[in-house]
Order: sequence, then C-alpha cells, then structure tokens
Amino acid sequence: MSNVINELLEGKIDFEGQRLVETLVSWVMIIAAVISFIAGFALQSLQVTFGLFAASIVALAFVIIPPWPMFNANPVKWLPAHTEAQDTKAKAS
Amino acid sequence: MHSIFARLNNSTSLLSSCLMGLLFAISLTTFLFNEEAHGQIVPASVKVLDARLPRQRYRTQEAVFTQFNVTADLTPLFHWNTKQVFVYLQAEYNNSKGVQNEVVVWDRIVRRKSDAVIRTRAMSKYSIRDLTRSFKKIPGAHFTLKYNIMPYVGVLTSGDIARTSELVTFPAAQRAVS
Amino acid sequence: MFEDEIRTIKRLGVRMILLQILNFASVIASGLMIWKGLSLVTNSESPIVVVLSGSMEPAFYRGDLLFLTNPVSELYKTGDITVYKIPGADIPIVHRVMETRDTPIKGWDKLNATTPHPVTQKLLTKGDNNAVDDLDLYQGIEWLERKHIVGKVRGFVPYVGYVTIAMNDFPQLKYALLGGLALLALFQRE
Repeated sequence: MSNVINELLEGKIDFEGQRLVETLVSWVMIIAAVISFIAGFALQSLQVTFGLFAASIVALAFVIIPPWPMFNANPVKWLPAHTEAQDTKAKAS
Repeated sequence: MHSIFARLNNSTSLLSSCLMGLLFAISLTTFLFNEEAHGQIVPASVKVLDARLPRQRYRTQEAVFTQFNVTADLTPLFHWNTKQVFVYLQAEYNNSKGVQNEVVVWDRIVRRKSDAVIRTRAMSKYSIRDLTRSFKKIPGAHFTLKYNIMPYVGVLTSGDIARTSELVTFPAAQRAVS
Repeated sequence: MFEDEIRTIKRLGVRMILLQILNFASVIASGLMIWKGLSLVTNSESPIVVVLSGSMEPAFYRGDLLFLTNPVSELYKTGDITVYKIPGADIPIVHRVMETRDTPIKGWDKLNATTPHPVTQKLLTKGDNNAVDDLDLYQGIEWLERKHIVGKVRGFVPYVGYVTIAMNDFPQLKYALLGGLALLALFQRE
C-alpha cells in the first residue's frame, strides 16, 4: 500500500516524457507571459495580465505535474540479461 | 524532471524569471505614457495670522493660511500602472535672508480615474511658516500645483499641473482670534 | 535519521566538504559585493529597503520593496518620498517631503567647495497616512538635513519584501530557512 502511495507521490515519467515536459513548460510559460502582457496592455488592466497569467500557470501545472500516461509512452528498453552460458561462450570464442 | 518534486522545482525557477520579466516589462511601459494633466489655481483668500502654534513649541510666529480654487483634470495620468496620484499645492518664496522656501499647503490622494477631475476649494491643510517667524519683509509667494504618480510596479514619476501667473501677495498680519 | 548524511560525509571526504563550504562562502561574498556595488552607484547606504510601517498607505504597504538613489547632484524637492534615519533611532522611516528650506552658503565657491550646491537644505517630512508632520519623530532635531537622508524612492515592487517582515515577526522561520540553506549547500551533489 505505502509503495503505491510512494510511487504516486514520486510520479516518475520516462526520458521522452521528461523532454516533452521541459519543452512544454518553457514554451507555455513564455508565451503565456507575452500574451497576458499584450492583453493587459491592450485593455489597460493589470488585473487582466495577472489573471490570465495565473490561469495559464494553473492549467500548465495540471498538465505537467501528474505522471499522465503520455509522459510514460516510451519506457526504457533494457538489454536482455546475460546468462552464464552466453558468457562462457563469449570467453571461448 | 523525472519526479514530481523535480518538475515543480525546475518549473518554479522559470516561473519566477517569467514573473520578473513581466514586472519589468510593465514598469517599462510607464515611459510610454507621458500625457500632461491640465488645471488652474486661483487664489481666493490669503491671511497672515499671528499665531502660537503648539507644535512649534509655543513660539509666537506668523503663519499664512490660504484658500485656492483648484480645478484640474488628472484623467490623462491614469493608465494601467497607476496606483495613485498625489496632488499637492505648494508655495514658493524667498525670504529676506535669501532662503529659498517651498512649502506644501494642500494635498490630496486620488486613487481612481473616476475621482480624477478635481474642482475644489483648497483650504490650507498646512500653514506656511518662515524661519524668520515673520512675513513682514516677504512680499508674497508663487503657488504651483504638482503631482506625483505611484505605480503598481516600477518608477515613480512627477510633474507640474499649474502655476500662478502673478505673485500672490501676503497682507499684513492680523491677531488671531481665540 | 542522519545516517544517510553521515555516510555521505564519509564518502565525500574532508576535501569535498571544504569545497562546498567555499562555494557557500563565495555565494555570500558575491551577494555582499552586489549590495556594496549598488551602494556605490546610488550613493545610498542602503539602496533597497523594505517598508515596515503603514504610515505611507495607500502608496506603500508593509512589505513593499523600494529602490533608492541619493545623487549628490540633486537637491530634494517637495513631493519626493525619502527614506531618512535619525541618529539614535534604529529603523529608517519612509516619508514624503513637505517643506524645503534652501539656505545659501556664504562664500560658496565652485572650485574649492565641500558641497556640490551653494545651499544647505532643511526639510520637513510627513507620512501620507499620518495626520501631522514628523516633527515629533525627529527626536529633538528641528529640521531634517541631507546627512539624515538615506535616499529618495525611485522604484517600487509590491509585496516582495514581505519575506523579511515574516522573518522578523517569526524568528524560528529565519533559523529554519538559514539551516535549510546551509544543509542544502553542504549536501548538494552535482
């Protein structure tokens, strides 16, 4: 039971998932900042700027924090384990 | 970025940089707005009283009390980064010893664009006193209406709105009643 | 509880720990350098201050961060918001200048003058949220002078300084934060 909770809290994702999260975070944050600045400037309201920015950050957090299945779509393929027979064969040749 | 903690940790550092950039960009926009406020100040009453002011350690001295009709439109000063505008009326005069004095006689804080049109009789909130304690040798003063903008974030800016065209003369001192 | 940490220390060895301490020290030293550099550029003994009282509300609230400059070439004007420190008082005060009295210095000569201006200034300040001027705060001094002034407020960022106020109000927080930082610096592995 505690193992399951631990795993959920740790929320591991695979390498492809990590790359995806990283690009997602940097693009969404920067674009959200730029868009909320422009929108707030156009409407002359700081409330619009910070409301829009906060909303996009909350949405982004919802996407990147839980280990969604799409971040675990490319599990690492380990090489097959060596057996003793193979090792001895390799030594002989 | 493998675990939740790593994802949070790495993202918050970018988040704080983004917020800082946003605040910096907002504070830079202050320089794009340089509209002027317009207004007028007309002296209505100037009195010099012989006064014993308790806060001045009960020394007898002359104090000038003024009333001005102030009209000003501060709406151009309100943009997205304006938190408040501090409007103040100040007297400027030189005394007989060559000391250059600037004294605020009235001020008001305007926080909303809807309150930005001012039409009021500005009675002196603060009296004018001189270092020589007398206004006998001082012919009068010029008055200027100024403003000071407080932003939500960034630089503070200030400017002038109106100035009296002629010297506002000080009459002879009267003995204060009561 | 600390078994893991102790094992890490053993594994890293004394040299590694010394290196980490050096790293920590260099972070602190560069922070100090930036602070003192800013002080030089702005000519102010403390170019960044945190608002500690509500006497300038609604302009500044507790915890707002202020950026100050104190240029030698400029005289203070009415309406400027200044930070001043009266000798004997432990905290600097942020208030607005309401009166300036510029007294000419007799025999001021541009070539061998000790001050950049031919005048000495006497100032009176008042907090926007206070009913009366600051005469009672001056502790017997009648006018504020240039030497009392730390700087003039140029820039403003809201709320950011609240951390320091929280640390003053709850000292445990300060020790927890410092301890945590020190541990992190010692045990961080690249």
